[in-house]
Amino acid sequence: MIGRIWPIAIGIVTDSIKRKVVYVVLVFAGFLALAIPSLPNYGLGVESAVFREVALALAFVTALVVSLSLAANRVPGEVERRTVYNVVAKGVSRWEYLVGTWTGVFLVSGGAIAAFAVIEQVVAVITYGDPMWRLWEGALAIWLEMGVISAFAVAVSSRTGPVVVVTASLAALFAGHSRSTLLGGEGALALKPFTISLDSFNVVNPVAHGSGVPGVYVLSMLMVFVGLSAACLIVGSLVFSRRDL
Amino acid sequence: MDDYAEAAVLIANARKTYRPVVGAVHRDAVSDVSISVDRGAIHGLLGPNGAGKTTTLKMLLGLVRPTAGTFRILGEDSTRPAGRRRVGFMPEQPYFPQHLTAAHALKLYAQLAGVPRGEIGSRTSALLERVGLAGRDKTTLLTFSRGMLQRLGIAQALINEPEVVILDEPASGLDPVGQRDVRNLMLELRDSGVTVLLSSHQLSEVEAVCDQVSILNAGRVAVEGDLDDLLNVEGRSSVRAKVPGDTLPPPVAALAGSVAVSGGLWVFSVADKDVRAAVDGIDDAGGRTLAVAPMRDSLEDYFARMLAETAGEADER
Repeated sequence: MIGRIWPIAIGIVTDSIKRKVVYVVLVFAGFLALAIPSLPNYGLGVESAVFREVALALAFVTALVVSLSLAANRVPGEVERRTVYNVVAKGVSRWEYLVGTWTGVFLVSGGAIAAFAVIEQVVAVITYGDPMWRLWEGALAIWLEMGVISAFAVAVSSRTGPVVVVTASLAALFAGHSRSTLLGGEGALALKPFTISLDSFNVVNPVAHGSGVPGVYVLSMLMVFVGLSAACLIVGSLVFSRRDL
Repeated sequence: MDDYAEAAVLIANARKTYRPVVGAVHRDAVSDVSISVDRGAIHGLLGPNGAGKTTTLKMLLGLVRPTAGTFRILGEDSTRPAGRRRVGFMPEQPYFPQHLTAAHALKLYAQLAGVPRGEIGSRTSALLERVGLAGRDKTTLLTFSRGMLQRLGIAQALINEPEVVILDEPASGLDPVGQRDVRNLMLELRDSGVTVLLSSHQLSEVEAVCDQVSILNAGRVAVEGDLDDLLNVEGRSSVRAKVPGDTLPPPVAALAGSVAVSGGLWVFSVADKDVRAAVDGIDDAGGRTLAVAPMRDSLEDYFARMLAETAGEADER
């Protein structure tokens, strides 16, 4: 099983490197460098907190662009170009193919986020003389959230094309972070147990302004990540297994 | 041993119905196809466009969900992934991730097929050489021509040393030398005990290598059997002879049919019971009989005639 999932994942990583996905990271790193002079000039502590917020936001956008561009195109592209035939005919289960695809996207987004975090640290050391290690906690939360989003995108892509996948994923991302706004403060709150929230991955406050993310909270984030990702991939696999290629 | 265990490939009562949008008429891409491929044989799958060949192969390989039917390869249910692990498949016009090199692509498919890590390198080199791509292992597939991708497609189908190989139009896009190489490769595979199921439009290719054929038309098997049995014209023999003069001797001409002549070489058919009389007639006229063999249709003629015959039956259905 792992012997079939892993080569698919590594194939995506290799392909991403050759397609120079790293350029996305460099572009957003450039935005970060450009943003520094425009940060409000408060006292030193406040200014570095604002920098951390901006850095996390740009890391999030970088990871989202990388994850969605890979997850939305991979399965529809392979089905359209029929490269999936060679894989499925080799005795690879369709769920193994989907999980391998997701694993590859997850690894690439992890690499992009890690690269961005390193750039953030270098900028932080140069500008503020502080490596800001807490940014890695934010990077982990972003990576886990991208894992859920890319699992959702891969699941949707098992049946539809890239445009629908990107639209649906952005809608899910918006809805996942807007539970309180969408449900309002009164009667609709009864629906709360039926809605899925991605707010668990929002650690901007403890990373930018507080004293970091507690270990127990990281554990609970991991559980939410595993549960939501698995649910998306199970649904995607069921849909994909019924599809004619 | 029952048919399920004995045949290398067994397809029984395969059917695929596409149910498009609500209100549209259901369409049977495959109505009722049953095929049995003997172990160690090369079996040709023929048919006009839209006959259901590719859909049948896709159902066999789990790429398309069958509406009905049984699909076995080497006795195992091939619609399940585990049933396809001893199979090599080359789709029509194979495509690959274009940013990989030839060696990386073969390595990927070897890993997916469960080839032991230590054997991947040697198998990759050997196969690239076997399909005429020696020295191209580090070339990016983006720069490969159609024919080179076709050759790589054959290599990926063989990377797991399969016992059954399924080839969909393997010679498509290849130059004449490449087509000959593919024919020789199929014959080599058969000689080493591998079963080959070949779907092709190239009748000369099928006639040259296949032991058995199934001809599909309108989603059904119109004809199935040994190629020799199908093409040999029962009760007639073909005679090749050198005869002096511009005409056949009258006793021979009275017996001969389908006469053709070129440069004093005559080719004609006679009823089996008249072969002796025809040979004697040629001898008496001072001629020489070069060969007498069972009369055989060309596959092209047989195919065209069979399609014309079954077209009427399909219309009646």
